[in-house]
Amino acid sequence: MLYFNENDLVIPGQLLADNGRRSGYGTYTRDGKLYASTTGLVRVVNDVVRIIPLSGRYKPQRGDRVVGIVSDVKPNVVEVDISGELTAVIKPPERETTPLKIDIGDCVYAEVKSVGIRGTMLSIEGLQKIPSGILVKMNPAKIPRLIGRKGSMVQMLRKESGCDFWVGRNGLVVVSGPDPGSEFAAVSAINLIEREAHVPGLTEKVINLLRRLRGGTVE
Amino acid sequence: MSKPKLIDENGLRVDGRRPDELRPIKMEVGVLEKTDGSAYIEVGGTRIYAGVIGPREVHPKHLELPDRGVLNCRYHMASFSVDERKPLGMTRREIELSKILREALETVVLLEEFPRMMVDIFVEVIQADGGTRTAGITAASLALADAGIPMTDIISATAVGKVEGTLVLDINEFEDKYGEADMPVAVAPQLNSIVLLQLNGRMTVEEVERGLEMAQAAIKKIREIQVDALKRRYRVEPEGLEA
Repeated sequence: MLYFNENDLVIPGQLLADNGRRSGYGTYTRDGKLYASTTGLVRVVNDVVRIIPLSGRYKPQRGDRVVGIVSDVKPNVVEVDISGELTAVIKPPERETTPLKIDIGDCVYAEVKSVGIRGTMLSIEGLQKIPSGILVKMNPAKIPRLIGRKGSMVQMLRKESGCDFWVGRNGLVVVSGPDPGSEFAAVSAINLIEREAHVPGLTEKVINLLRRLRGGTVE
Repeated sequence: MSKPKLIDENGLRVDGRRPDELRPIKMEVGVLEKTDGSAYIEVGGTRIYAGVIGPREVHPKHLELPDRGVLNCRYHMASFSVDERKPLGMTRREIELSKILREALETVVLLEEFPRMMVDIFVEVIQADGGTRTAGITAASLALADAGIPMTDIISATAVGKVEGTLVLDINEFEDKYGEADMPVAVAPQLNSIVLLQLNGRMTVEEVERGLEMAQAAIKKIREIQVDALKRRYRVEPEGLEA
């Protein structure tokens, strides 16, 4: 038996179900019963109860694409600050003669290869160095809203603002545009999305904001 | 100075409360911007901010544990929080309370979920009017929940005191000073376990038992306020997450 409705807000210690075998992310079992261990929204995914956290630091997950700042370059490892729990590392393949062309302070866009007790590894395939732009930090829980359904929101932002976006699941976003005016408009739009992530009809609001700001700068 | 009268002929206390009455409590979650989780609590004249940072890398490095996380707790009173200016820096009392708070919180935090990492908990007393350790632990567990730290339960706490032979709930500084005993109690209600119990002064076995019952009943009310504060913080967000 379940003691919640889908998408309910739960708090640590709340009883969720009698059957402890359905324990997913953000839950724990005690005496065969299932309880919440984090604050967030409960959902049943593939018959497993899991909690979608609403706050807290970014917890890396395999396959996530993240934006990070290179914090240290060592002989055989590169450390990247992804504003998560621990710094992530990039390891070039062994006997690689050409060193990675990245240095301390560079902003990179990469995929999380593995997460484990030894830390987070970033994949070397598809590793991009972001040349320039404005780094914006937002709540990682609200990144899905910025991306939108199948990337609809980002596509719209790209089209309306004329800027390039690197959206990291860790809550870091880089905006790079042809002129300061459009970059400013894009950052304003991101802030609007973070502030009003829960409001319906957000896409129209963002389009209106962008057109207003862009119109103002063109004239 | 002669001892003031702490309970009047009607059985009411110095601030007009009944013996089993709590002071007005106010809680708010998510009040500090630069922390990962935070909470503010007001219990009568006691005002406390709690902030949580982490999980993050352990510093100093030698404290790191390979199989579980580390909690670091700091209980600190502002210089202006008490009647007579408290000198800067950590006093012996503050160092002890930091340890007490940490040990109580360690019982509910699922440390295995963040190995090689550390969570910092800061409890800053802005104004002290008795019951700062219990209010501090209540606020700290709210801040932890706000920071998304995995926990088995949220801790609620209050104190029971004895003044003029009567057991009273949630004693203030005045009653603490002139009363006979002070017993802070912190409970994890879902786990049904006491995570902190101290006693300063003298009480009989029956009084301790009755005091614990009083505290348990009051903690139910405190818990409701905590739950309400947490839900208020995230009230508007459910529709926001359509990935």
